[in-house]
Amino acid sequence: MFYRQSGIRHRSYVSDSKLFPIPMDRNLVLFLFLLGLAAPLLIDTLYLNSYVLPWLIWTAAALGLNLVTGWAGQLHLGYAAIMAVGAYSAVHAARFGIPWEFALLIAGLASAAIGSVFAFAAMRVKGLYLALTTLAMQFVMDWVLSHVPAITGGSHASLQSPPFKLLGQPITSDAGLYYVAFGWCVIVTIFVLNMRRTGLGRALVAVREKDYAAAILGVNSLYYKIVAFATSSFIAGITGALLVVTFFFLASPEQFSVTVSVQVLAMVIVGGLASIIGSYLGAALILLMPGFANSLFSATADFLGWQMDPETLAHIPNAAYGALIIIFLMVEPLGLGKIYNNIRDYFLVWPFDQMKK
Amino acid sequence: MLPIRKYAKGLAAGAVLGIAALSSSMAQAADPIKFGMCYDLSKSYTFITPQIVQAVRDLAELTNMKGGIDGHPIELIVQDHGNEPQRGIECYEKLKREGVFIFDMLSTPVSIAVLPRIMSDKNILLQSLVGRGDAIDGSVFSQIFPVGPTYWGQIANDIEYVRQTHNGSLKGVKIAFVYVDYPFGQEPIEILKTLAAKEGFELGLFPYPLPGSDQSSAWTQIRKFQPDAIVSWSLAKMHVVASREMKRNGIPMDKYISVNWLNEIDITNIGPAEAKGLKRGTNVAGGQDVPIVKEIIAELYDKGKGNGDRAKLNDVYYNTGLAIYSVAFEAARLAVEKGGWPLNAEKMKVGFESLKNYDANGLFAPVTVTAEDHGGGGKTRIEMWDGEKWVPQTDWIGAYNDVVWEVVKKSSKSFKTE
Repeated sequence: MFYRQSGIRHRSYVSDSKLFPIPMDRNLVLFLFLLGLAAPLLIDTLYLNSYVLPWLIWTAAALGLNLVTGWAGQLHLGYAAIMAVGAYSAVHAARFGIPWEFALLIAGLASAAIGSVFAFAAMRVKGLYLALTTLAMQFVMDWVLSHVPAITGGSHASLQSPPFKLLGQPITSDAGLYYVAFGWCVIVTIFVLNMRRTGLGRALVAVREKDYAAAILGVNSLYYKIVAFATSSFIAGITGALLVVTFFFLASPEQFSVTVSVQVLAMVIVGGLASIIGSYLGAALILLMPGFANSLFSATADFLGWQMDPETLAHIPNAAYGALIIIFLMVEPLGLGKIYNNIRDYFLVWPFDQMKK
Repeated sequence: MLPIRKYAKGLAAGAVLGIAALSSSMAQAADPIKFGMCYDLSKSYTFITPQIVQAVRDLAELTNMKGGIDGHPIELIVQDHGNEPQRGIECYEKLKREGVFIFDMLSTPVSIAVLPRIMSDKNILLQSLVGRGDAIDGSVFSQIFPVGPTYWGQIANDIEYVRQTHNGSLKGVKIAFVYVDYPFGQEPIEILKTLAAKEGFELGLFPYPLPGSDQSSAWTQIRKFQPDAIVSWSLAKMHVVASREMKRNGIPMDKYISVNWLNEIDITNIGPAEAKGLKRGTNVAGGQDVPIVKEIIAELYDKGKGNGDRAKLNDVYYNTGLAIYSVAFEAARLAVEKGGWPLNAEKMKVGFESLKNYDANGLFAPVTVTAEDHGGGGKTRIEMWDGEKWVPQTDWIGAYNDVVWEVVKKSSKSFKTE
């Protein structure tokens, strides 16, 4: 009923490879896009800039990591390190007087260059060994950040980012910063959506499924591994830079520590490998749930008049949050994106689903 | 999915610890003075936060029983941020909209993360013992109040203590600096090198990696170095590991001078008898022989009204919590006295900058905060564990201020962007 498929006939390859063959999907995405555009009018600035904005930026990061982990099948535990490269190169470039448009580009390129180094490790090792190699690179980056004051501005220090301007326009308002994050997330989403149906996307999937088999089919797996790492690092670099520019306003090493790497990987896994909607949902769950659970729980405790000391009040939501992740993954090991797909599949034939049986 | 309406006041704040014991005379009288405490109650800082929260709640309750600050009760809003910068920012933004303008993050990463927002919103950030050391430079960090010592000031005072114990001269003295190899531990190195050149002592640097459970190579090297004094920048259980390594390498405990992060729990873990002779630098008087602690015990805990486990009281971090907020409450009192009600961030800043030789009846080193120096002088003293209690070894000292401020100025200059 909602997802009407009658009358959809593909007469050419182009129409067959449309992004959204079913109008409902397209309309839903369009609706969400318009909702995103109108968000500054609908949502209080607190929620807009403290929840939605970081959520969109982390989604872009999760999509970037999903490209290399979900599509190309390469485990990556050093994603935050790559984001740090982008963040610090952009801030340094901007402090040097380079306009932000180019600073962001420099961030992407610098990250892509360093991220490709990870790819050389990926050529030699696979699976858990690759995970450990990338983790080691994360630690190398942590070490560099804490031992090279020229990059970070000294121990315990932080590097303030200069006022943000795009196309000569200073961007300082809450809505302006939100639109920058929103725009970037939309660009990354469109890129990943389209990548799936190109030769590149299919080659990445071939490499993921079995790189020997891909090689027999004529897919140069080494080349595509490097491309996957470089592309996802480019996204990571700009995302890291935008995170600093629109949310933190300064770069400090803790923002890109190993725990952040693990968090982004958790977003991808909880959301679902190679799932775009999953990256959105995963980022929401991992990033926003702890704070949300906290508010929810203390509101409940307040409402019921429970007297508790602050530590207990802080720990119970954490336990609930952990349990929630376990429950989601037990219900659907393929992640939140798969849960969404299950619901969609149900509605695809609803209300006629009984007729099949 | 996104809750659009604003939360009703009181629900939003994580845990609003309504102060129940308002005295009847001011029951529903005045507007409260709100303190936003976004703390790490669940991750890295849990070795101090429970004691500090308990201390601040006790102190606030005691103050409210005595009539609050100029008739206005104190309201504490405590929320967990799990030491994650983005959750700290979320907490800050939320409380800001509820009219809180005095914040305390008690975490270095989170204090750094909210710094640009605090500065541009012109709110107040209490930042004692955490965050950027150069924030004591009030001319740059006008809204930040890290009242208390910086790690730079602390190490200078430790060196001064070693100088005093070596008849006033450090020529030819060997000082080992053992530290955990991340920013917290690396911070004092610059000061140490400057002082080594100035005073002529021989400095040995001995880093060990996080999480600090393996320090064996550092201590083997220290044994070979044969230092006259060992200064240690370690936290919590790292001290316990250090004490074990010292025993193994035959290094006597009385050479060990710790940073302020060493408490009674660590002493218990080392063994009170084994720890005899161990020293620590501190800006807060340890133990319960302090007027304000005695008063809290008499007024609250003896009457069964304490805000937590009585056993936690015998902990220097409890006293640290009292110290941070005695300063804040005194500043608020001065602010109301000078600028009248309603209190705002601007008046609060004036209040802080009017603190003169304030020590809350001997609870901590006297602080004098000025518009230039937000650290209050950075005085500390060395205390020694005698097997049962802490015994002060020196007066409150604030040594080598010129060297410390040189580093502060150099560092704070790089913060500005325009």
